[in-house]
Amino acid sequence: MPELVQIRPEASDLADGEALPGIEISPDFREFVQARSVDEMVRLAQEVLADPTFPTVRAWRKAGGKAVGCFPVYTPQELVHSFGMLPVAMQGGGENLEISRADAALGSFLCSISKSTLEMALTGLLDPFDAFVFPYICDVSRNLDGIFTRVLPQSPSHMLHLPQNFTSQATIPFLVAEYRRLIEKLERVAGQPFSQEDLRASLEVFNEQRELVRRLATVKRETPWKVTLIEYYLLLRLGGLLPREIHIPLLRRALTEIEGRERKNKDAIRVLVVGPFCEQPTLELLQLVEDVGCYVVGEEFQMLHRWCPRIEPGADPLKSLAASYVRTPLDIGVRSTPTTKGAAILSRVDASKAQGVLFLTAKFCEPALEDVVLYRRALEGRGLPYLHMEFEEKSTTYEQARLQLETFVESILFE
Amino acid sequence: MSEDVSAPAPPGVVSPTFLRDARRLQRKLVEEYYGELASAEKPRRPVAYMLVGGNLTEILRSFGYDVVFPEIVGLNCAIKHQSLDNILHAESLGYGSDVCGYVKNDLGLQDLGGKTSFGQIPRPDLLVCSFSGCYIYVKWWEALAESYGAPLFMYDVPYMREETPRKEDIDYLVSQLWELVRLLERRTGRAFDLDKLKRVLAESRRAEDGWVDFLRAGRLRPSPIEAYFESIFYMFPINVLRGTAAAADFYGIVNEEVRTRVRDGNYPLPEEKYRVLVEGVPPYTNYRTFWNFFRKWGAVSVVATYPKVGGLFDRGFRHDPSRPFESIAEYSLGAYVNQSWPLRRKIIADYVKEYQADAAIIHGIKSCRSFTAGQGDLRDWLIHDQRVPTLYIESDHQDPRYFAAAQIKNRMDAFFESLEQRRAVAAAAGAATA
Repeated sequence: MPELVQIRPEASDLADGEALPGIEISPDFREFVQARSVDEMVRLAQEVLADPTFPTVRAWRKAGGKAVGCFPVYTPQELVHSFGMLPVAMQGGGENLEISRADAALGSFLCSISKSTLEMALTGLLDPFDAFVFPYICDVSRNLDGIFTRVLPQSPSHMLHLPQNFTSQATIPFLVAEYRRLIEKLERVAGQPFSQEDLRASLEVFNEQRELVRRLATVKRETPWKVTLIEYYLLLRLGGLLPREIHIPLLRRALTEIEGRERKNKDAIRVLVVGPFCEQPTLELLQLVEDVGCYVVGEEFQMLHRWCPRIEPGADPLKSLAASYVRTPLDIGVRSTPTTKGAAILSRVDASKAQGVLFLTAKFCEPALEDVVLYRRALEGRGLPYLHMEFEEKSTTYEQARLQLETFVESILFE
Repeated sequence: MSEDVSAPAPPGVVSPTFLRDARRLQRKLVEEYYGELASAEKPRRPVAYMLVGGNLTEILRSFGYDVVFPEIVGLNCAIKHQSLDNILHAESLGYGSDVCGYVKNDLGLQDLGGKTSFGQIPRPDLLVCSFSGCYIYVKWWEALAESYGAPLFMYDVPYMREETPRKEDIDYLVSQLWELVRLLERRTGRAFDLDKLKRVLAESRRAEDGWVDFLRAGRLRPSPIEAYFESIFYMFPINVLRGTAAAADFYGIVNEEVRTRVRDGNYPLPEEKYRVLVEGVPPYTNYRTFWNFFRKWGAVSVVATYPKVGGLFDRGFRHDPSRPFESIAEYSLGAYVNQSWPLRRKIIADYVKEYQADAAIIHGIKSCRSFTAGQGDLRDWLIHDQRVPTLYIESDHQDPRYFAAAQIKNRMDAFFESLEQRRAVAAAAGAATA
């Protein structure tokens, strides 16, 4: 795996008013099409993630395309795609973005991702987007939509009410209607009417992407020594930033290499990582998790690619899409659990054969923080070890994190 | 809600004038409510826990349930300075410093056995999560369900992004309401009584009329009511006892006393110097202190958003016995924090005009993202787009550790000083022109 690269200067190093330079990607995404090795893909991904100017979106626009920014955790990307637009996972500004204006608009006790997303809106970094979707995953995401309507009045923004009642007979019809509400806006942005046939085709594209992501996750779970956490994570991140038609063959090439690797199983502990489903930790922190001796065999990264299994388009693809959201057995902090939190975490531990759980929650992320208490109770009931760490988008020192992680690993190794 | 308001005010500060009969009656209603909840009589009525926003108290009441509102229990603990022990206990269970104060106060209290100075809070037989306006409701009710093993009914209320609800929103809600009714029939063994529900709704409507009359008194100059601090005391019947004759009668008495106040010239302050709009949840742990920061400057809140968390009755909504389920569905959508920011901004802009507010004070809550996330932007909008002098301050509704009295007082003093100076300059300019 290549060294983690620092592509651009810190924003604080720039003179006042000086814009961050953005990397340029060719409109046909040649760099990604031609990337043959996982090392090459990972290097490209790092360059893209280090650049808060959304280089893949700018490249897409150069080719005449329109893009819709989708706040985590789940947006029915297929709907955006069916209009020929690029659904883009907006996952914060990362560690290179300085927050100067968003603090005043949002208040002090809010997560980094909300502030960096608003900062990007206020400083023009989201200009390449034509519209935004904010799913109701938490109150902050919901309220960001309302702020966007004021600060970016020229770009339509939509708050998507994702239902929380998964047993009512009326939920799927409601979600279909809710998706139609989103479609009304997408039609205006795209300048074309919704087409069931186009949605059917989009569902197949995302089915293919989901299947490949599922394969990669299986490799990570069953043979975690074959793919590092950083490689795994970055390959998933690209899935929300590249046109899916570019990401799918890239992922297929990556899988061929990864599945064929002959690497030795290290004496590492198997860990389930819970919590980073929305705001993202730094790559350095992820690197540290493996450096201290953890194999991450289950996690919540980029769940938008793994929300549900294959979706059969059927006669009514919109209804199929809605039903897939409602019926998925997924346990995650942003939807009410279909069982109990305790049962859910234990079944995930069993499925991943994890020896311990690492709660990696974003600072101020209330959905994650409240689940941790119930999860911990269940783990304690079974005598399973866990560690809870909080992170923010900008982290500079990792000594304490290293110490905590090393102690956690040692406590399991020497049990 | 039963803070002793008859205590002497600090020197130089006018004591708040409370409505006398209504105040006594309100205290009696609160005591009776908690007394009945704590009653050890057998067989006792079944208990449902519910949230204030979008609550379904009329349906539960028609099935004979006692309804507990943990938010209201929480604020009662906070105003009586009893919340910190509960919060610290919740933190010892693993709830971090950034978790909602209501959640920690309640879950801490529950884990300690539910005993308060105002009564024993009974265990729930049913948990109805009226998910309207705050995502943390889902988490909170999941935690209660795991603690008590009680069944949880998730009543999913769509977020309001347009002024008028869409048909699909109402259809979704009405379907869920019928599913709740079927659940209640199974649990109680009683058949649903539509006529009883209509009678309960008629009482709700009567209480809503009275509550709105009270709130609208803030439009008078000077205002005979304190629309933030005083209204919060009188929210108890409209939120907790709605659907009873007692709640409806209560507002009749309140409004009679308001009329007496106007007749006698008996106002919240001797001189109403500033008419203020207040946005946000109050710091219950330092309620009186915070109130004094207003009174010192002759500032009277003439309108506030927080008393609308239980419903936007003053914007025209009423429960309707002739359309029982549809109107309950519409009510559920109307919790203040279930309104998108564009809708909230419109409500506030209307309030500023209708109530002739001179300034706005926004009280942000450290642990409440639902109400607070975006209030900084609201301040910017009020100042720059609406030209309303606005102050943003921050503490917590439940956790006294976050109320920095000196800092808040300094900021409020500076704000009112600047208003005073602005007035003086304007008056001088007016005199010079004349």
